Amino acid sequence: MSDRRVDDAEPTAVADGGVAEGSAGGQPALDETADEPELDRGLIEAWAAKMISNPDRAYRATFYVATIFFLVTTLFPFYWLLMVALTPRGSLSDVGVLTPGGFNPIAFIEIFQMLPFHRYVFNSFLIATIATVAVLLVGSLAGYVFGRLRFRGRNVLLLAVLVTSFFPPAAFFIPLNRLFNRNVDALRPLISDGSLYNTPYAIFIPLSAIFLPLSIFILMTFYSQIPDGLEDAARVEGTTRLGALFRVIVPLSAPGVATAGVLTFISVYNEYFFSSLMTDGRPGSWAPMLEGILRFQGEFEVLFNLMAAASIVAVLPVAILVIVAQEKIVSGLTSGAVKE
Amino acid sequence: MSTDTRSDDGGFGLTSPLNWLETQSEEVYAYVLLAPAFLLLAVVAFYPLIETFRFSLLANELAAADPFGEFVGLDNYVALLTGNTPFTQQFVAVSLAEGFPFIQFDAPFLQQAIFVTLAFAIISVLFETTIGFGQALVLDKDFYGRRWVRVSIIIPWAIPIVIQGMIFFLMFNPTIGFGTDFMQWLGVFGSNPLSSSTDAFIIVLVADIWKTTAFMALLILAGLQSIDRGLYDVAKVSGASPWQRFKYITLPLVAPALLVAMLFRTMDAMRIYGLIDATAGCETVPSLTCLVIISLESSRRWATASAVAFLTAVVISGFVVAYLLALRNSNGGVA
Repeated sequence: MSDRRVDDAEPTAVADGGVAEGSAGGQPALDETADEPELDRGLIEAWAAKMISNPDRAYRATFYVATIFFLVTTLFPFYWLLMVALTPRGSLSDVGVLTPGGFNPIAFIEIFQMLPFHRYVFNSFLIATIATVAVLLVGSLAGYVFGRLRFRGRNVLLLAVLVTSFFPPAAFFIPLNRLFNRNVDALRPLISDGSLYNTPYAIFIPLSAIFLPLSIFILMTFYSQIPDGLEDAARVEGTTRLGALFRVIVPLSAPGVATAGVLTFISVYNEYFFSSLMTDGRPGSWAPMLEGILRFQGEFEVLFNLMAAASIVAVLPVAILVIVAQEKIVSGLTSGAVKE
Repeated sequence: MSTDTRSDDGGFGLTSPLNWLETQSEEVYAYVLLAPAFLLLAVVAFYPLIETFRFSLLANELAAADPFGEFVGLDNYVALLTGNTPFTQQFVAVSLAEGFPFIQFDAPFLQQAIFVTLAFAIISVLFETTIGFGQALVLDKDFYGRRWVRVSIIIPWAIPIVIQGMIFFLMFNPTIGFGTDFMQWLGVFGSNPLSSSTDAFIIVLVADIWKTTAFMALLILAGLQSIDRGLYDVAKVSGASPWQRFKYITLPLVAPALLVAMLFRTMDAMRIYGLIDATAGCETVPSLTCLVIISLESSRRWATASAVAFLTAVVISGFVVAYLLALRNSNGGVA
């Protein structure tokens, strides 16, 4: 290392020899304090020389610059959204890049007064929770079968599951829309007009199916890693087959189940296509949170600060979930994909 | 149909079906456990897919109670592909032609939608892969505060699409957002970017890159972390520079994971709808899914909408097949 540094330093010392000779006595000292550049170099030139003499430093600098760049680009939009939310309605045109156009947090209260925004968020939560439970139950059974059992047609069935996740929701939408708008007499005791449109079912049934394949793949990976001996032991102890699944395999794969659950919840909560099309948008019709946010585009005036405030309120639950469960998300996304 | 779904796993807590299950072979047991999953998939995916295809072969019935008429074969597809389908939004073609120099004035609406969807998918996936690789390389290092850097990189991926749309809608709103001024200062955008097709396309692109790069980063990171660290030590000892280590070790070994990640992203990008609907609106940036909704809601052409939906599925499966072939080749090359 130090050899190279001397090589690099020498030509420059010769080039601006006049000064270097003037401090001839300092020449040996140059080696000792080699990190210090010669005195007459410009700041940038000196920095460049350091980088050349020590490439690791250049790579480290790039690393820090990249990290800061990524942090700023991912987080800045949220910061700016907060600035818009804090700006009073009258001075919305004054919102700067870094500063609000005034200060008035009343928007965070107004969103609940002008519309029942809490009801929209509740609807979203309910739909996401039901879908998550359904996906985990159904996905556990399927994941167990694909991960641990041998049977004819396994690969064909697995492929069928995979293929469904290739198709766009639009390819399913039209028949489902007809199906859910049809009045089914058998449902009349449960739902007033007998059709599933404007009920949570119309959103969580399609979404459970659409996000089921990912969960099956995640659970399959986790279940297949449980040693056979544990399941056999439970069977010898006298549990049923299903008992062994739900008392031994599922608890032992708790991290996997949590991963699949978190990913399903986030996906359903964030979904747009079915969520925006399967209800008429009224809070009483189980319209999810996205309708609430879009409703602030009022008839006479667009309430920008309320839209921003509502967005912040609606993003908080997922943001907290990500902070708490980031390891699960990372492992889930990667195991789901690697399985492919 | 849907009543069947619920009654199926209704026998769950009963003892006699459980006893019956105990006596069956492993194969029967497997099929029984798979039944709920496949019932759900059948109701929501398989049956609608077939129905969509069947609908697309029927005539549009604009006035009658039933939106589908008699069997017309492939007429809907022919009309779509030759540009003879009368979309009510046909006038959009004019504003599109102004914005997109590469779209002809009289280009059929479907071709515009296919163009927008493919351009969006390809450009966004390329950018997301590049930036995601950068993020993955940062996250692959061990440094103080790595956990928090990772959280902040993941957060955009986890936010609802409507909020992602809202952020960019506000940012490029001429009254309150700074985005329009900034882009005009650069000399790129017009005065109201969200209603111009080119500008809105770029905004949607940037919004998508902002949100989903994290997904690419995580998948690439998984590939990076599966690389044997010993290889780097060997390379270091033999005097390879960090760039050479990246080029000859990291890149080839991470390639399969990279292709899988790109496959997932491309499929997802080709379904783009919500982001467009929440920012610029489907009339300004028509993607294929947008076209389904437009023909359904504003012109009540259910059969045409089905044909567009099925074509979307066909285009996506074309991409999937191409990727799978590439993936197989790259695996063959390594092994």
